[in-house]
Amino acid sequence: MATAAARDTAGSPTAYDAPAGPGDTDAFQRAFDAAVAAEERIEPRDWMPDAYRATLVRQIAQHAHSEIIGMQPEANWITRAPSLRRKAILMAKVQDEAGHGLYLYSAAETLGVSREELLDKLHAGRQKYSSIFNYPTLTWADVGAIGWLVDGAAITNQVPLCRCSYGPYARAMVRICKEESFHQRQGYELLLALSKGTPEQHAMAQDAVDRWWWPSLMMFGPPDDASQHSAQSMAWKIKRHSNDELRQRFVDICVPQAESLGLTLPDPDLKWNEERGHHDFGAIDWSEFWDVLKGNGPCNDQRLSRRRTAHEEGAWVREAAAAHAAKHSNDTTGATRA
Amino acid sequence: MVTATPLTPLEEQLLELAGSVPDPELPVLTLRELGVVRAVRAHGTDRVEVDLTPTYTGCPAVEVMSLDIERVLREHGVREVTVRTVLAPAWSTDDITDEGRRKLREFGIAPPRTGAASGPVRVELGPTRTGEGGAADGTREPVRCPHCGSAETELLSRFSSTACKALRRCLACREPFDHFKEL
Amino acid sequence: MTTTPAADTVTTAAALALGDDALVLSHRLGEWAGHAPVLEEEVALANIALDLLGQARVLLSMAGDEDELAFLREERAFRNLQLVEQPNGDFAHTIARQLYFSVYQHLLYDRLAAGDGPFAPLAGKAVKEAAYHRDHAEQWTLRLGDGTDESHARMQRAVDALWRFTGEMFQPVEGIDGIDWPGLESAWREAVEDVLGRATLTVPDGPRSGAWKAGAGRQGLHTEPFGRMLAEMQHLHRSHPGATW
Repeated sequence: MATAAARDTAGSPTAYDAPAGPGDTDAFQRAFDAAVAAEERIEPRDWMPDAYRATLVRQIAQHAHSEIIGMQPEANWITRAPSLRRKAILMAKVQDEAGHGLYLYSAAETLGVSREELLDKLHAGRQKYSSIFNYPTLTWADVGAIGWLVDGAAITNQVPLCRCSYGPYARAMVRICKEESFHQRQGYELLLALSKGTPEQHAMAQDAVDRWWWPSLMMFGPPDDASQHSAQSMAWKIKRHSNDELRQRFVDICVPQAESLGLTLPDPDLKWNEERGHHDFGAIDWSEFWDVLKGNGPCNDQRLSRRRTAHEEGAWVREAAAAHAAKHSNDTTGATRA
Repeated sequence: MVTATPLTPLEEQLLELAGSVPDPELPVLTLRELGVVRAVRAHGTDRVEVDLTPTYTGCPAVEVMSLDIERVLREHGVREVTVRTVLAPAWSTDDITDEGRRKLREFGIAPPRTGAASGPVRVELGPTRTGEGGAADGTREPVRCPHCGSAETELLSRFSSTACKALRRCLACREPFDHFKEL
Repeated sequence: MTTTPAADTVTTAAALALGDDALVLSHRLGEWAGHAPVLEEEVALANIALDLLGQARVLLSMAGDEDELAFLREERAFRNLQLVEQPNGDFAHTIARQLYFSVYQHLLYDRLAAGDGPFAPLAGKAVKEAAYHRDHAEQWTLRLGDGTDESHARMQRAVDALWRFTGEMFQPVEGIDGIDWPGLESAWREAVEDVLGRATLTVPDGPRSGAWKAGAGRQGLHTEPFGRMLAEMQHLHRSHPGATW
């Protein structure tokens, strides 16, 4: 905010003035580039290149879509949670995800799109959500694995985004990361309770980790040399680290945690490399990654259908709310309740 | 905080320690700033009881807070720590300290207004987004945008992530932000 | 293993009644997760469910071990109202159930909080949350009742269908003392009829209890969907006897 004000007083262009012609646009572009280079924030009312805007809309929207689709694999276990405390924790988590989705859609709206447009794109398959949610939660332990590994990977990805050039998104990331750290801790503790429990519980936990480990590594995206959008996103400081860098960071964090959990990670090639100062790990099956991304994962169909169905079945509710609002737009409020 | 008898120096110290634990969900605040540590009682130097009050009845962080308090006190040499949950007097957002409010604002969450009313104020209904008069309806001061300070903010959703928050948007700078609801 | 709690004190029996109400309704609301009609409602319903679960945990703990009570009792040992165990149905059905119950709970907790019985501390806390729940239900009743023709029809169907479960709420509960039950019922009727009226809905006029099937949840006589709900809720816990989670 101070940034925009400073540029205003300095007489530089803001979004209040639109470029009148190509020469003008150059000035706007230079001001934008200078701001990004100086690690200043770009705010909703600032001028920005169309491509930057479009990239941000896509990224924030897909992040929001991931939060709401991500509710499904976890909601799958709310009604079967094995203790009231775990049920409360899981319900709170699912509420948080919905709330984060709400927050992120609002952040995307600062860029001039509506939530309805974004949801339409999701339902039509034109915008995506994090592919990790195309895997099923087959046991209660999967809920813990998602908290520990999937949220852990998400946090590793998101912390750098707290320094993203676009203000509303960066600030959203700071708050969302703090809340997700709580969930990650709860996921870890869920698995710890299972690991130290009965032999059946321990086996359940190990089985879940065996199934969720590799897909979690894939959350960081394709290897750097195969990643399409990265270069431009890095230049705009939307993306701050490469996929491989973040993936390595995640592996290094998880190895000691797995030991504390008393669980193994399903990678025979995983070992500490003294020279590199990092853990070496085995080859990822990228064909599975691309396959799931393309739509052939275990739950792609199910996730999107559920979403579309909920949306369609909810249409009459949304229409009712709009109709009510239209009828009463001139009403004064009713009595205040004490 | 409500105690019948004045605290001993040891109890003061323990209260300080327990209160310094960060809230598990909103780590920008400590438990003391949140106003949830109600009492500390020491029996010798070995046994300590702490009374904690939950913010929301369903708050899943209470057990985590208890564990964190136990850990902190044990690290300082207390052998036996018992954390009790007490429901009365009920926690209110008025129990959040001024420092806590300031930190919330800095973190980007609009703090709860003081003189917590006993529940929701009747508002005009929108499609699903409700408008909420602040100064306009004269019943309460407006919720200010923590980013730019403007009083022109609208309610997007009465419930947000975590039980204590509502989602609002600043009409001046467009920033969406969470508001810690009055309770 | 099944357990029937030794209801040797009336407070225990009352704690189960109130606790089971909250537990069962919380569970039903939890079933909406992931497919609510609009994102704001995903958050709202989850929040309300979580508040209720918190209340249930406090109340059940007054009667024994919260998990043993929740996961190891059979249907006939549950003391919740038949109202709260009704399946969600469409969103209108859920809102009608919310309207009827949350007005009741708000009024009841308000009175309990003012007294000095064993439920006063919990009620003093929960009444503030109940106020939010009630407000949420009332707002949606207005939107749906006075929205479109379709929403009006659905809402009318819902308030009609659930009306017969509302009498049970005002049968005195042993162990909850100092409550003027007829007075509570009048206050409830007044509040509910006012909202329905403003929502352009007709106040239903059928029977509100009588014949055990519509008013005996407190005696452990429940409806068929309840057994299926419990089967789902209890299955995992029961599959690992003695395990901690």
